[in-house]
Amino acid sequence: MDLILQLLFTGIGIGAVYALVALGFVLIFRATNVVNFAQGEFSMVAAYLMVVCVELGLPYWLSFVIALAGMALLGVIFNLGVYYPLRHRTYLPVIIATIGASILLANSVLAIYGPQPQVLQGWFDTPGIQLGPVYLDSQYLLIIAVTIGLVIFNYWFFEKTLLGKKLQATSQDKEMASLLGISVSTMIMITFIYSAVLGGLAGILVAPVLFVSIQMGSTIALKAFAATIIGGFGDVTGAIIGGLALGVIETFGAAYISVPYKDGFAFLVLIAFLIFRPQGIFGERVAEKA
Amino acid sequence: MKLTRREFSAGLAAGLAAPALIGSARAQGATIKIGMCAPVTGPAAESGGYAVKGAKLALEAVNKAGGILGKQGELIVEDDQTTNPGIVLAFSKLAAQSDIVGFLGSIRSTQVHAMAPDVLKLGKPVMIGGTDPNLTHMGNKWLFRFRPNDSYSGRVIAEYGVSTLGKKKWAVLHSTDAFGTAGGKALTEALTKAGAPPVLDQGYANQSQDFTPVVLAIKQSGADILGSYFTFENDLGIFARQLRQLGVNIPWVGSPSIVNITALKLAGPALYNTFGVADYAEDSSEASKAFGKLYRDAVKVAPDNQSSWTFDAITVLAAGINKAGSTEPEKIREAILSIKKFPGAEGEYNFDQNGDGLHGYNIVKNEKGSILFDKHIEFND
Repeated sequence: MDLILQLLFTGIGIGAVYALVALGFVLIFRATNVVNFAQGEFSMVAAYLMVVCVELGLPYWLSFVIALAGMALLGVIFNLGVYYPLRHRTYLPVIIATIGASILLANSVLAIYGPQPQVLQGWFDTPGIQLGPVYLDSQYLLIIAVTIGLVIFNYWFFEKTLLGKKLQATSQDKEMASLLGISVSTMIMITFIYSAVLGGLAGILVAPVLFVSIQMGSTIALKAFAATIIGGFGDVTGAIIGGLALGVIETFGAAYISVPYKDGFAFLVLIAFLIFRPQGIFGERVAEKA
Repeated sequence: MKLTRREFSAGLAAGLAAPALIGSARAQGATIKIGMCAPVTGPAAESGGYAVKGAKLALEAVNKAGGILGKQGELIVEDDQTTNPGIVLAFSKLAAQSDIVGFLGSIRSTQVHAMAPDVLKLGKPVMIGGTDPNLTHMGNKWLFRFRPNDSYSGRVIAEYGVSTLGKKKWAVLHSTDAFGTAGGKALTEALTKAGAPPVLDQGYANQSQDFTPVVLAIKQSGADILGSYFTFENDLGIFARQLRQLGVNIPWVGSPSIVNITALKLAGPALYNTFGVADYAEDSSEASKAFGKLYRDAVKVAPDNQSSWTFDAITVLAAGINKAGSTEPEKIREAILSIKKFPGAEGEYNFDQNGDGLHGYNIVKNEKGSILFDKHIEFND
């Protein structure tokens, strides 16, 4: 039982990280109908921004604010430089452009900062707490708390605020939203900013656990992408549940079946969903577009 | 001006003969040339810089002591870009210069594998730092290794854990890539031979984000010591922290990455009191200490195996040429293979017929973040 509880906690913790990045995938997909393959690199860039700010001697909270502000700016640049020029084309050129942008981001950071992984301290001095037989990593606790907070925030924002409703209207039917006086391009810009910040937040939160490296974004994004397929592409709740499920499945799979095939379990589930339920747990039948 | 037939003929003859004469003069030039493939650019550019510095320091010392065959040695460096195509190109550029008598290859086994066919075709001695045992066991007689190969590290980890630390219940953890699988297999074999077959032999995939299932498996196995082969420092750092957080504090003896500077930075206190095998350890011998001082004075940073193997490679190659009394490849080869008890920065060189110069490893301990030499374990076979 102790073993199960420990695995469950870790699985939910790592799953919450996937869920955070998956949220970014979903929001962009809803707004633009394409998958942003640079979402993982947003996490990596934010983590490096944090490292730079902390190394410059800035307070942790200020570094956090600067890093997220930097991500908001990156969201604007990304929208204008990658999505906007190709917005009237089919989804394929845009997807390829996001892949190109992800390579550019990774190599730019590599050129500026070098290949060595970096350490970023967490928010807490205490690494974790021992609760009976289970060790709770403080950073994972924070990640889980932030994920829960974001689920609540997203619900409130998209369902209860005017801006959220405008964003939803844009994602559902751009032409109709435009006829209703909603500035579609502004809504898409806001979506890019929000998903870049979300990706950045995930990167900053996970950095103390996984360290800061050029590869960190792509590693997490691959799982987050699988999580969105499982949850249902385009569905916020699905992304969260898909992420958590994936974290738990791979952790238990590794413990009870095989450690080296840990990543394999996640993708086996993904393939099973693509074959038998391509719309995911909650989504519409759109997974083939991804 | 009128050109006579005789003058024209003489001029033509001189013109035709000149390149051959110049080439011959260059071949008997004022210097003995050594080519070096090094990562001047690419992900390993930083360590490549240290490798070149180690080689240059060695050549300065050789030249000060009388040079090679009475001439000054000259190093010609080509950028291998830290890639396999890069090193093949770099080596072909160097190989095209017929007056280069010997070469330095790479510390990366995969790059040495990439250049090996061309080395065989050229037929001149090439010094390498890659530790894949196959490199010197695949019939290429021109490769000479200046680090102990990986088959020794498994035996050293087993020997130290069983004999010195007195532990018999081993958990073996290794990456599932070529390096980790070979290392894990070598360690398991050595432990079985020592009468302590592992109670857990666990592989993991590179770039893992979570090691909780691995740590719990180690905990449940009842192992009283851990032996490991990690390929990437990132994985090692995550594992080390989770191992300690989940309350596993058994002794741990790891492959060289456990004492890598990046791993020490990432894992911090989680690696305190662990042991590792290291080919270069500054306090392991007088020659290692002397190299350490020379390097610190010149480069102002701590020496490591990136520079120590190139330092030894140049020193031994120069000694080999001097011993052969010739730059003829076959004679240099025989001279290097006959080198015995040669004190180098990495250890004492005793070349076997495969071209392996070192047959043991140093064990070092992580003492609150400082790497201290503990003992050297040598094998005669």
